[in-house]
Amino acid sequence: MGAVAELEKIWYFMKRDMVSFSTYKTNIVILVFTAIFGALSFAYLGQSSVNQVVTQTFHTSYTTYLIIGLAFNSYLGQALTLVQKTINPWALEEVLVSPTRLTTFIIGSSIWGFIWSTAVVAVYLVIGVYFFGVLLSVNVIGTLIVLALGIATFVGISMIGSGILILTKQGDPVTALMTIAISLFGNVLFPPQVLPTFLQVIAYITPPYYFFTCIKFMLTGSTIAAILPNLEILALMCAIIVPVGYAIYAWCLKTARKNGTLSWF
Amino acid sequence: MQSENAIQTINLTKTFKSKDLNSSAGFFSRKTISTNAIDSLNLEIKKGELFGLLGPNGAGKTTLVKMLCTLLPPDSGTALINGYDIIKQQMQVKRSLGTLFSVGERGFFWRLNGYRNLEFFAAIYNVPRFKRQQRIMEVLRLVGLENSTYQLYQKYSGGMKRKLALARTLLPDPPIIMLDEPTTGLDAISSRNIRDFVRSTVQETGKTVLYTTHYIEEAAQICTKIGILKQGKIIACDTPNALRDKIKKGERIYIILEEISPVQVEKMRSIHGVIGITEKNDPDLMPNQKGLCLELQNVDQLPSIFDFLFEQKIKFVNFKREEPSLEDAFIEITKRA
Repeated sequence: MGAVAELEKIWYFMKRDMVSFSTYKTNIVILVFTAIFGALSFAYLGQSSVNQVVTQTFHTSYTTYLIIGLAFNSYLGQALTLVQKTINPWALEEVLVSPTRLTTFIIGSSIWGFIWSTAVVAVYLVIGVYFFGVLLSVNVIGTLIVLALGIATFVGISMIGSGILILTKQGDPVTALMTIAISLFGNVLFPPQVLPTFLQVIAYITPPYYFFTCIKFMLTGSTIAAILPNLEILALMCAIIVPVGYAIYAWCLKTARKNGTLSWF
Repeated sequence: MQSENAIQTINLTKTFKSKDLNSSAGFFSRKTISTNAIDSLNLEIKKGELFGLLGPNGAGKTTLVKMLCTLLPPDSGTALINGYDIIKQQMQVKRSLGTLFSVGERGFFWRLNGYRNLEFFAAIYNVPRFKRQQRIMEVLRLVGLENSTYQLYQKYSGGMKRKLALARTLLPDPPIIMLDEPTTGLDAISSRNIRDFVRSTVQETGKTVLYTTHYIEEAAQICTKIGILKQGKIIACDTPNALRDKIKKGERIYIILEEISPVQVEKMRSIHGVIGITEKNDPDLMPNQKGLCLELQNVDQLPSIFDFLFEQKIKFVNFKREEPSLEDAFIEITKRA
């Protein structure tokens, strides 16, 4: 009798979570996609052609290529989730009733995350240089330009994702897709040139590819002139994504306020 | 000329549409339900008034507060806060208001101490930098948290968290304060502290207070005027005494009797001038005693009642004149509406 009662309780715990989980439809779809593409990215990592393409393209070792990729991947990961972290619904309400502008709120809430991410990048690179023989030859101005464009672009994307999250409450397809794009097409773990042609096309239309390509060149001795075509595309994407991201975030916030669902999560 | 109203709503309306999670229209589509949260509300709260907004759960109190502080845009109509329009002059409205939400303590940062939390809010509420420290210490003293200034927020008790939320509300020294169910979930002592604070400190400074609650006696104790909200409409608005008078039909006498039978109670009902008799559950009564609430047309009927008790040999223990409580008024008024 006791064991049956306990089993029934376990069933109700699971049922509670399952029913609750099933109400977040977008999240379910995103989780399935993330699992499929996550598996794909690690499958390509094992290919022998990766090392060869890296050496030919960046004229550096695969270790240097990988450490730079991982360091800035964590940086962009922060940028992607920064705005989301600030939309804790109750804190959001308290800030929105104060005489504070939305732009001040977003910028103010993002700054510390970037300072911390910069420190993390520095740790990655120092460890890479001193323990794994990573060779860096930094073009400082070029790196700063690429970083500024990359951060702005990814904060723009983050605003789109956060806006959608404010409405859907759980499950942000934009950030999920961008995480997939970074790991599979972003030139982080392996160059997209090792992918089949139809997948390479996806890499060339997403911002992570341009950001990681440019930053890797800027840290391995290239000149700005050498990366200009990629830098121009990144700048163009930035010019489009930032205002669009802000507009979408503001619209979603306005809609949630109108519907009275801002503090629902 | 400046308006004498601190808060004025003009045909303020808000309807919520929500998905019916019980309907089974498909994976992505659900039936939509509409609820009138605030229904063409016209309300005036004068400057310096401590106005209580009373209503059952779901009456629209929090929706109204959220609309007045610009968090929730109305579907139609508008409201003026300190003379500023909640739709067109949001920044001015925000500068005129301090709002304490019913779950306001969740907006704090748990890993910061009380002082650091208030320092952040002082900055975003434009408290001048040179005044910030002094003002923070001032409001912490006002709410009685001066000894917990540097304690981590996560170590605060429920009452302390609510007090800190109250301190945050007072921080920018706004002329109008909205307190949305400030004592919900607090113990009796903390609730009384907050009520005393609102009544004394806030009123002494001449601020206007909109105090929402579903605790009737709480509103009766501190508010100078009370509005009763039901299904998004104000169904009564007056002083607590005037609201009690509204349901007063005659004189009300509470009488404790010994050894009275149900038949004798029925006989009492037929005495001229008796409007009604209700039995009262009084925990202080002895087993052979019964407490009856008599509603009489006027106090002149009292001798006929005593004559009847004498005739029937019913012993009376005590009696007192009773005024209808605000709770009686609230129940009666909401029933009528």
